[in-house]
Amino acid sequence: MYTRPVYEKLRMSQITRWITIFFSQNYTFSKRLLGIFLILGGAAGFAGILMIDVLDVGREGGIGPSQRLALGGCVALILLGLSLLPLGKAPA
Amino acid sequence: MSDPALNAAERSRPNNGLLKFSNGLIGAALIILIGYLLIYVAFAINLMQFPFDYDQGEGFELVDTIMFSQGEWPYQDTDVYPFYSSNYPPLFHVIAAPFVWLFGPAYWYGRLLGFLGTLVTASAIGYAVYREGGHKGIAALSGLAFLASNTVFHIGPLFRQHMTMVMFETLAVVVLARATDTADPRRRRLLLIAGLALILCAGYTKQLAYATAAAALIFLFIRSPRTGILCGIGFAAIFGAIFVFLNWATDGQWWLQTISANVNEFYPDQTIGLYRLWFSLHGFLIVPAVLWALYELYFGRLSIYTLWFIAAVANAALSGKWGAGDSYFATSIAALCLLSGIFAARTLKRAWNFPQNFYSRLLVNPFRRLSPIIYGAGLIIIPLLYIGYAAATLKMPTQGALFEPLAAALHLTPNADNGFYDSAGRIAGGYADIGHFTTAQDIENGWRIVERVRQAEGDVLSEEAAFNLLAGKPVITNPTQLLNLWLNNQWDSSELVQMIENQEFGLIVLRAQFYPTDVLIAIGNHYQQTDTIPMNGFSYLLLEPK
Repeated sequence: MYTRPVYEKLRMSQITRWITIFFSQNYTFSKRLLGIFLILGGAAGFAGILMIDVLDVGREGGIGPSQRLALGGCVALILLGLSLLPLGKAPA
Repeated sequence: MSDPALNAAERSRPNNGLLKFSNGLIGAALIILIGYLLIYVAFAINLMQFPFDYDQGEGFELVDTIMFSQGEWPYQDTDVYPFYSSNYPPLFHVIAAPFVWLFGPAYWYGRLLGFLGTLVTASAIGYAVYREGGHKGIAALSGLAFLASNTVFHIGPLFRQHMTMVMFETLAVVVLARATDTADPRRRRLLLIAGLALILCAGYTKQLAYATAAAALIFLFIRSPRTGILCGIGFAAIFGAIFVFLNWATDGQWWLQTISANVNEFYPDQTIGLYRLWFSLHGFLIVPAVLWALYELYFGRLSIYTLWFIAAVANAALSGKWGAGDSYFATSIAALCLLSGIFAARTLKRAWNFPQNFYSRLLVNPFRRLSPIIYGAGLIIIPLLYIGYAAATLKMPTQGALFEPLAAALHLTPNADNGFYDSAGRIAGGYADIGHFTTAQDIENGWRIVERVRQAEGDVLSEEAAFNLLAGKPVITNPTQLLNLWLNNQWDSSELVQMIENQEFGLIVLRAQFYPTDVLIAIGNHYQQTDTIPMNGFSYLLLEPK
C-alpha cells in the first residue's frame, strides 16, 4: 500500500502525463471526450442561465421565452453529449 | 459455376437506364439553376446602372468609402454637425476606396464588388464539394444553389459588406478544412495562417463573422488542442491589437459606434418567422446537410464545415434584432449548400462508409442488405432535391419581353414591387423588401429628387445619401445609426433637433422614417410635406419649412 506522499506524487505525475499528452502535437479529441465536454458545457450553461435570475435580483417576470429557449438548447447539448459516450475512443 | 462475389457486384450495380435517368435529372437541375444564375446576373447589371440607393443604407456605405478614400475615419462623434457615423468595420470600404479615386462617388463598383464576392463564394463551395465528394455535377449544383437562394439573390449585388464577409468566411473554412490533416509542417502552418487571416478579414468586414471564428477555433481545438490554443492566442492577439488601434485612432468612437450601438432590441417573433422562411426556402438542402452533420458526429470525424454550419445556424438567431434580417442567414446558406453537396456526392458516388460501432450495429447493419435499393433511390432523389430546391427558391420579374411569357407559362403573378415574383412571399418580418428590378421611371424620379435637393437653400436632411452626393451637398446624419445610438441612450439629439426647430434645412427627404422619435417629432412640428415622389417601390416624402 502506498503512503500518502507517494500516492500524491504518483497522482501528480499522472496528471502531468495526461496534460502532456493532451497538449502534444498528435493528440486529438475522442468522441467520448467531446461528449463529456458537451455535457459539462450544457450543464454549465443551464446553471448559468438559471443564475441570471438569482444574481440579477432586480429582474422581473421570471424565466422569459429567450431563457426557456436557451435552457432547451442546454438540455439538447447534454443529450447530444450523452449520445456520444458509447463511441469511446473513436476520433471526434 | 458462377462467382458469388461477382454476382453480388452485378446485383449492386444499378442498371444503365437508371443511371442515364439520374444524369438527365442532374442535367435538368443544372439547366434550371443556370437559368437562375442568368436572372441573377441580369439583376446585378440592372442594379449597377441604378444611380441611387436601392437598399436603405447603401448610400452610407458609399459615404464611408468616400471618407476612407480621403484618409478620414467614418467613426465620428454624432453629437455634433454633420451627425454622421458608421457602424460597420472598415475592410469592405477600404477595398472599395480606390474606385472613388478612379471614378468618383458611385454605387456601381460597390455593387460589383458584392456581386463578385458571391461568385467567389459559390466557386469556393463548388471547389470544396468537388474536393470532398469528387462529383463535378453536384459540385456545380452546390455553387449554383448558393446563388439561387432568395437571400443571396437580393443581397448579393448591393453596396453592402455582408456578402463580402460571407466570401471571406467561406474561403477561410475551405482553406482550414485540410490544414490539420497536412503532414508537411510548413504547408500546415501556411494553411493555418492563411485561414485565420481570412477570418480576420471577415471580422473586419462585418462583426457577425465572430461565429465563424468560434467554429474554426473549436475545430482546431478538437483536432489538436495544442494547435487550437496556439492559433487562438495568436488570432486574439492580432485581432485585439487592430481593435485597440482603431479605438485609439478614433478617440473611442470605434467602440461606441460599432459595438455599443449595435446592441439592439430583440424581437423573438422576427427570428422565428425568419427561421421558418429559411427552412421553407432551403429545406430541400437543409435536410441532407443535417444528415451529413449527424453522419460526421456518429460515424465520421467532425469537419470544420459541420461546425461552421452549426455556428452559422445558431448565429442566425440574431436576425430578430432591430435592423437585422434575412441577411443573417447568408453564412448558414453557404454552409448548407456545402454540406448538402458532400452528402449528395457521397450518395451518387456510393462512397458511404459506416464503421462498426454502437449506432451502426443498431441503425445501419439491419439495412445493409438493402443498400443497392437505397443507392438506386438515391440516384433519383438527389437530383430531385435540387429540382425541388429550385422550385422553392423561384424568383423572377414577370414583366418584359423575355420574362412575361415565361411568367405566364409558369402561372406566376407578381407579389413584390415592380412586377417581381418572389417565392419568399414577403411574409416574415425582417425579410428585405428588395429583389425587384429598377425601371427607367425609377431613375427619372430619382433625378427629380436630386433636382429638388439641388434647388433647396442651405443643407438638406436626407434619409438616403445619394441625393445629397449627386446634388453636391454635404451628407447630414446616418439615420439608422442615430436611432441605434438613441435607443441605447448614447446620442444627444439636442443640436440636430435645434437645427430642425430653427428650420436650418432647406429640404428634408424621408423614406422609412428611421430617425429617432424626437427628431421625427421636431420634423413634424416645423416642416410640412410638399411632395411625394415614388421611386423603386417606395414613397419619398419631401418636406419644406412650415
